[in-house]
Amino acid sequence: MANRRTSRLEKEGLRLLARVWQVRCVVLLAIPYFVLLSWLFVGSSRMDLRPAEMFSIPETPVWEAPDESHWFGTTANGADLFQLSRRAMGNSVAVAVVTSFLGICLALLLTSLFAFDADEKRFRPMFIVSRAGFLLPAMVVLVIFTGGAGGSLPVAMLGLIVVAGLHLAPVLAVWFQEGEKGPDVLAGFGLGLSRSHILAGRVVPKVLRRLVGVFAQLVPVVVLVEMALSFMGFTGDRLSCGAMVAYGRNSLLEAPWLAACPGLLATAVVMILSLLGWLVAKATGSGSLPRIF
Amino acid sequence: MTRVFLRCLALALARWCSMGLFLFLLVEFSFCVVGGSNRHVWLPESYGSVPAPLSVQPTGLRELVGERSSASFLALGLAYGGVVLVGYGWGILAARFRRFRAASILALPFSAFACVPGFWFVVLVAIYSYVVWKRPGFADELVVDSGPNFLAWWHAAVVALPAMAPAAAWQIRSVASVIEAEASRPFVRGLYLAGYGDDDIFYGNVFRRAVPGIVSLFDRTLPSVLGSLIVAEWAFRYEGMGSLIVDSVRLGFYPGIFLGGLWMAAIVGLATMARQVAEQFLRPG
Repeated sequence: MANRRTSRLEKEGLRLLARVWQVRCVVLLAIPYFVLLSWLFVGSSRMDLRPAEMFSIPETPVWEAPDESHWFGTTANGADLFQLSRRAMGNSVAVAVVTSFLGICLALLLTSLFAFDADEKRFRPMFIVSRAGFLLPAMVVLVIFTGGAGGSLPVAMLGLIVVAGLHLAPVLAVWFQEGEKGPDVLAGFGLGLSRSHILAGRVVPKVLRRLVGVFAQLVPVVVLVEMALSFMGFTGDRLSCGAMVAYGRNSLLEAPWLAACPGLLATAVVMILSLLGWLVAKATGSGSLPRIF
Repeated sequence: MTRVFLRCLALALARWCSMGLFLFLLVEFSFCVVGGSNRHVWLPESYGSVPAPLSVQPTGLRELVGERSSASFLALGLAYGGVVLVGYGWGILAARFRRFRAASILALPFSAFACVPGFWFVVLVAIYSYVVWKRPGFADELVVDSGPNFLAWWHAAVVALPAMAPAAAWQIRSVASVIEAEASRPFVRGLYLAGYGDDDIFYGNVFRRAVPGIVSLFDRTLPSVLGSLIVAEWAFRYEGMGSLIVDSVRLGFYPGIFLGGLWMAAIVGLATMARQVAEQFLRPG
């Protein structure tokens, strides 16, 4: 009679396979993210590139229209526009990832200030402030803040973090309220567990899981806003597709590709990030984000 | 009805005033605390006359705001009118054909267009205008002196389109999801079993019950439409309130910033008030 007991190695292997199958969505979604970000961030340092220098027009410009060797053409100084656009998008995506993450952290912090309170109407002040505060479009706040402060990247990032955090906090508050109505939470209260114990053990993990989808959806939106701010010159002299389009506007007749081509790459990257964000949100059940910007 | 209206109006006014105070603090904090300017918002000398770059001919603040707001109303009307029409019309249609995932399909063109940076789109229009049509591209380069001003509509439409697309996509999905949530309630199964037809169940029961939820979405996209208009107006050199705010910030012209900000807050506030009044009648209490 054959020995039917599985070896320990086989057991562990099966368990690992089952775990991989459970998180197959995460694995499948992580691969395109990894490929996109690797492509954007591969290469040397990019924060030191100044568009004012790159897009200055010498007396005898050597720009070339898009062709096989230069897909997006070249600047007046002969720099390859495709490579510049790729680096610019790397900058924008890096800024968006950092600000989105910190914005979500701020929202979580603000919500947790109220969430552990036992009062049923504990989120009311937050909702009242949000109803009054959202009369002013977030973009107006960002333009005034970044433009008034002189226009620099740290200021723009700070503005984005605060605006995203304040807009997301009421959404998280609603999620906390929804989470507390679950049968497991009610059972916890019935068993006499403390409120903080139930919230930390049952509600917070559910909210955190949905935040992954929020982050994935927020990144492409913040990329667009960052590019818009840099287009208006409110993020300092730093390489960004927005700034590149703004500089390209100065020579629309002579070299229209300077303004047209960087936006093409920006659109493609934002489209990929949006699609991935939508898939992540669907996988994590986050639902759609409110319109912030 | 009067009581409900006055209550909503008082609430809207209180919110608008608090927003004015916030704007006041925001300008002071941005320009003076972070930016290091010594032109404080409470000093009378900080409020000079209209700077030359904001207006070609010397003009007063009232005329400037009047001209700019009428231009912005046109663009906003096109953008937000499009959001409401497309968002509600296609959203209801998407919910009706929910078994075919119509919400995703109908919102897809708008979602794809939402990935296009608005400022880049209007610059592309200008390039196309220069290169293919051989005529001025940006909004401030040609003025119609006589006859119907179709050009103003064209410029407003160019500015409105990138503002409309993301909001319309969101509105389609939101309207569809509200109706779909209503359609997944147990009473729908009961009506099927009782022999009601598809259209009767959807329009006569599900849609009718979902109306309050749909109405509550009315003003959700307005701030984002206005925010997108700011960027698109400035990029297309369209002389509206959005470009007034951006130019005022660049020039440090406080009255332009305050009036632009308060104008936008007033529009959002009025839309919110209208929604609240409608909700009171549809869902009393």
